[in-house]
Amino acid sequence: MRGHRISQMKQANNNEVDLLLQSIARGREESAARSALSSGDGKQFVSEHLDADELNSYAEGVAPAYARARYMEHLADCDSCRKIVVGLNQTAGAANRYEVPAESGFALWQKLAALFSPPVLRYAVPALVLSAVIGIGFLALKQRPDTQFVAQNEQRTKAPSLTPGENDAAANNAPAPQSTIQDTAQPETKRHAVIEKENPSVQKERVAESSPAPQTLSQLAPGKDAGLSADSATTAGSRGYAPEPKAAAPPPPAAVFDSAKSTDLAKERPVKREDQPRAQDEVSRAEGDDLHGPNRSKSNTGSPADGRTAGIMRVRGPSAADKKKTGEASTRTVMGRHFAREGNAWIDTAYEPSRATVRVTRGSDQFRALVADEPGIRSIAEQLDGVVVVVWKGRAYRIQ
Amino acid sequence: MFSESAGRLLARAADSHGVSVETLIPRVRAAVGKYILRDEPEASFQGIQDFIDKLQADDLCLIVACEHGNQKAWTELVERFSATVRSAARSASSNEEGAEDLAQSIWAELHGLRLRADGKPAGKLAYYSGRGSLAGWLRAVVAQLAVDQHRKDFRLVQTEEDADFDRIIQHGQEQQTWSGHGGAPNPELLISTKLAGAQLQKALAESVKQMSAEDRLLVKLYYFDGLRLREAGAVLGVHEATASRRLTRIHSELRQQVETVLIEKEGWTKPETERAFSEVAVNLEADLEPLLASEPILMKKENEVAG
Repeated sequence: MRGHRISQMKQANNNEVDLLLQSIARGREESAARSALSSGDGKQFVSEHLDADELNSYAEGVAPAYARARYMEHLADCDSCRKIVVGLNQTAGAANRYEVPAESGFALWQKLAALFSPPVLRYAVPALVLSAVIGIGFLALKQRPDTQFVAQNEQRTKAPSLTPGENDAAANNAPAPQSTIQDTAQPETKRHAVIEKENPSVQKERVAESSPAPQTLSQLAPGKDAGLSADSATTAGSRGYAPEPKAAAPPPPAAVFDSAKSTDLAKERPVKREDQPRAQDEVSRAEGDDLHGPNRSKSNTGSPADGRTAGIMRVRGPSAADKKKTGEASTRTVMGRHFAREGNAWIDTAYEPSRATVRVTRGSDQFRALVADEPGIRSIAEQLDGVVVVVWKGRAYRIQ
Repeated sequence: MFSESAGRLLARAADSHGVSVETLIPRVRAAVGKYILRDEPEASFQGIQDFIDKLQADDLCLIVACEHGNQKAWTELVERFSATVRSAARSASSNEEGAEDLAQSIWAELHGLRLRADGKPAGKLAYYSGRGSLAGWLRAVVAQLAVDQHRKDFRLVQTEEDADFDRIIQHGQEQQTWSGHGGAPNPELLISTKLAGAQLQKALAESVKQMSAEDRLLVKLYYFDGLRLREAGAVLGVHEATASRRLTRIHSELRQQVETVLIEKEGWTKPETERAFSEVAVNLEADLEPLLASEPILMKKENEVAG
């Protein structure tokens, strides 16, 4: 016990006093034992001991302050009473420990009552309300981007599921879109971004499209389009958002990689693949025109009347008879260059009419020298018949 | 005032055991005189009423009923508290037989074997004030009875602590209080060491006497009674940490006081006091080792003597 007490004392400075007191206590024990053995006269120090009631009231801590101080003074000097008090105190402590379960329920009830007392609620309620407001605000802010993300997923997952034929049918049979202007503007912008990435030449067109003609809400509102004439209804239908996935949708894998088709289809496949982005460009440009007004840069390529007619024709889309007449797609891609068919000529999409061209006749010495230096031009000239206008290394060549 | 307070006290009791207000008034008055008016003769009316309102109404009514010979109350007292009395007797006695004797004798002590002047038995029941619990009071009565019996049996002389210190100091002067192991017998050094040690212990005893009662009680509980800080703190009604802080302060104050006594009364210098404390630390630490090793043997011897 003393060893434990010594270890408890972490007071280096006063360790000497501690040791001295222990020495005195040890000497006192020896002295008391010697006195007990030697004294036989029964002599006692007559002091006013505390009675049982006082000892108990002190041990239980219920003695009034003055009385307690008096008892403490006696206990400091009276070994016998102090031992009784120590015993009573330890017993009372054990009794209290046994009584803890009985009191714990009441204490718990008291704690709950104190928890919901007005002084506590006065501060707790505003704090709770503030926490709730902050929490709701945080959740609301957190959910907003998620909603946009889901909407985009719906757009993208629906588009690839349609084959090109189905896309057309879907575009024609699509019900009038019910979305708002803001909803449509965003996919449109993204679609243009995709197209621009695929074909850098479109960027220039986008610059021209960036200043759209004013467009009223009634032109975009599909409900009102129902009352227009057939042409205008068709135009309005093409302005709608049903065809939009057709342009944005990538080519279905089955159509590209289906090797079970006939060899003719296999031969046509590269051509279709080459034509497809160009077709997408055409559609997107037509939609861009519809949305943002006529394309001024495009109108410069021909007469205004031709531009208007071409615009209408594009909006309407080629009829079955037109398709039979042309028989082929109007765009091709050779050696990474995109060409658009204009009459009997294949015009590089990167070609600007204002640019000067170098005329080269097939079979001439100049042509042979050119294709000897630039084999790519040879491939283009071989694959495209008729007049070919190609932009190659910053220069425009008109091969005829 | 006492009549009204006794009436309220009676009303608080779940079972009054047939005790009347008139019967209670003398007990209440005695309790107020014992706990309030003795230390505070000019105590306020409100203070006295608060004191009375905190008395243990049920326990007090039971004891008063027993004192007035209510057999039903006696039966209830014995039934309710015989286990408590037996437990207290077992704690106070060194063997089971002595505990049983003590438990049996306690009821006779409570009832009283002799008669008072008014013809009623002079039992200890008359001393229960109702301030503390009846169970605690019964334990205290058992403990006191055990001490009395122990004194009778072994003629143990209780010593006053102040006289204790003086005797220890005398004893320390006669013998060598710390032995100074190693025994290099330089007679002059031995004598001077003895004198220094005796003067140091005397100064310490004086310093302890000058301490407040509460601090002195803590020192006694911790060093003399061998209690842990938690137990000593519980006796004082303070937390263990408070007791620890208080003890640290006591050490510091005691050292300063001892130095003052040695310098002013014994003519020591400051370096001499510091050197004396250092030697105490070295010598007493060396002395404590064999003491700690032999403590169980000493306790066994004491038990044999007590038995």
